[in-house]
Amino acid sequence: MRPNLDYFQLLADARREIPSDLKRLHVAVMSDCAAQHLILLLKALFLRRGIHAEIYEGPFDGIDFDARNPGSALYAFEPEYVVIINSVQMLRDRFYQREEVASFSLESLQRMAVIWDSIRINSNATIIQSTFAPPVERFFGNYDRSVKKSLSSVVADLNSMVVSETGKRQGILLLDLESTAARIGLNSWFDERMWTLGKSLCSFAHLPLVAQNVVDIVLATQGYGIKCVVTDLDNTLWGGVVGDDGPHGIRIGAHGDGEPFYRVQCFLRELKRRGIVLAVCSKNEYAAALKPFQENSEMVLQLNDFVAFVANWNNKPENIRTIQQTLNIGLDSILFLDDNRFEREAVRAMLPAVVVPELPEDTADWIKTLTDLNLFETVSFSAEDKLRSSQYVQEARRRTAAETAGNFEEFLRSLEMTIEVSRFIPEHIGRIVQLLQRSNQFNLTTRRHNEAECAAMMRDVRGWIPLYAKLADKYGDHGLISIVILKPDHGSGVLEIKDWLMSCRVLTRGVEEYLMNYVFEQAREMNLPMVRGTYIPTSKNRMVAEFYGPFGFAKTHVAPDGRSEWALAVSDYKTQRHFLTAEADQTVCAAASWKEERWNKSSQNA
Amino acid sequence: MEQVIAERLTDTFRDVFGDRAIQLTRSTTANDIKGWDSLMHINLIVAVEREFKVRFTTAEVMSLLNVGDLADTIARKVQKG
Repeated sequence: MRPNLDYFQLLADARREIPSDLKRLHVAVMSDCAAQHLILLLKALFLRRGIHAEIYEGPFDGIDFDARNPGSALYAFEPEYVVIINSVQMLRDRFYQREEVASFSLESLQRMAVIWDSIRINSNATIIQSTFAPPVERFFGNYDRSVKKSLSSVVADLNSMVVSETGKRQGILLLDLESTAARIGLNSWFDERMWTLGKSLCSFAHLPLVAQNVVDIVLATQGYGIKCVVTDLDNTLWGGVVGDDGPHGIRIGAHGDGEPFYRVQCFLRELKRRGIVLAVCSKNEYAAALKPFQENSEMVLQLNDFVAFVANWNNKPENIRTIQQTLNIGLDSILFLDDNRFEREAVRAMLPAVVVPELPEDTADWIKTLTDLNLFETVSFSAEDKLRSSQYVQEARRRTAAETAGNFEEFLRSLEMTIEVSRFIPEHIGRIVQLLQRSNQFNLTTRRHNEAECAAMMRDVRGWIPLYAKLADKYGDHGLISIVILKPDHGSGVLEIKDWLMSCRVLTRGVEEYLMNYVFEQAREMNLPMVRGTYIPTSKNRMVAEFYGPFGFAKTHVAPDGRSEWALAVSDYKTQRHFLTAEADQTVCAAASWKEERWNKSSQNA
Repeated sequence: MEQVIAERLTDTFRDVFGDRAIQLTRSTTANDIKGWDSLMHINLIVAVEREFKVRFTTAEVMSLLNVGDLADTIARKVQKG
């Protein structure tokens, strides 16, 4: 069970006054079951994460009406997220009323799809759609699923169609109640009394978990999430102490008493494949800590699975701080695993932002505990995710090269970097949205445009120049690493830089210089004499507060909240030096944004 | 017995409604307590079930008219249990 999800504690929290300076989010909840309880829980759980959620409650069982009417209160509310919760109890009632159920699941799906598409037409909100919990009743025993028209078959059918249909659309994420209910167990999940008395989706004890999952999804779209797991070695990745027991004396392997540790290693390796980077932080002699990886063939994880390997006698918070700085990620995106209570407490005390779960005494229980905490929520999975770990390893190699290269310019030139800059194209939208959501530090304005908004800018060839950049060098491919969104205003003669963000992995390579040259070339081509930019401060983006200054921009305005405006005449811009070569195979060029014909042609080809 | 139930019930009401000033009598009904709507009614039932480790039937919940009914139902269940 996930800790701190007591229903009554959360209700009490929801009554508290909300500080006025919190980030606000507009969340609409539409359901065919009772929503009031859920809404209070959502408020309390968002508040825990420092977010003031303003919540719109749709009319009970009135999803169709609200979604299909462009003038409805739902759209007047201007939701950023629309959470749609469909109960299997309501589905069950409709099922029972039918004489013929052959087309029931398809019709139910179509009804849902109309709602998604109506919301998409009328709003840019991200939709969070629930799946159906499996029904508790079985009419054919174990044979139930073999009968195509049984309730459980129909629900299973509908769930798989919901998964595939939402996957085909942009900006819809799943709230997987089917899986959540299964984790809890259906007999505990459902409370038919509470359905009868108050149309409650599930037992009250589990409502907080539903709300927490909604919050987890929303936070993932906002760029929160674990990016790196820092793990201990002794009694964490293997049983025993390598310094005492030796590389062959430790307990590890697919059979026997080393199996729980073997499972932990498999779990971590899957996380690495999913794009989460791994690092070691162990109190050990460095040479001894390496030995199991070098000599014990039962080990699942290999040395090259880790982007950092720290084994020394320093305190762990200090070592984690070093790892964090090497990787250039936020402390709140680090998960720390250690069997030793003292180490966990030390890290919690000195680095409170780091996520340090309380782990069960028995390693065999760890994976269940970690999964229950839902630490690895994400909103997409792209080719870049799979690449990430190797990118960090390449980065480490580049740094070593930088140390030996001496002359930095020489080093940059030796990287043989190539860059591809282009207007957004459909096949990159997923990664673009992900970068928009995850970039915190090198992000001038931190506007989290969602999929629908990005697609809208991509299509609006007169109004917007939304650009992405991909970088590669002789060590490997960095993928899509920067986004610059421009808005030309021909009336005032200004090319406005609306958003500029970049992955910190590629700092100081010349990408910024290359892109700034590119921006001014665009301005020149469009006969816009002025380029303007904005910096909006957050707690994480101080590193780019003076970004525009070195390029020659003048600060034209500073608002009381620290927001600053910058401007530079195109005629005064000095072309920046860099060591990047344009990718020859540049199919869709940004200048096509105003040569509409050409853009249409290339988008047809795409 | 009666007195113990009354005290624990008062505490439960105060927690659920977030109001330390609530005083209960046997004849207290939903009309007498601010915020006692159908939503809070279910919260109350869940909280009472947890406090007294009892479980009401759907019919019992629907037939409760006042705090006296609630206390009697609890007493009956606690004795049995």
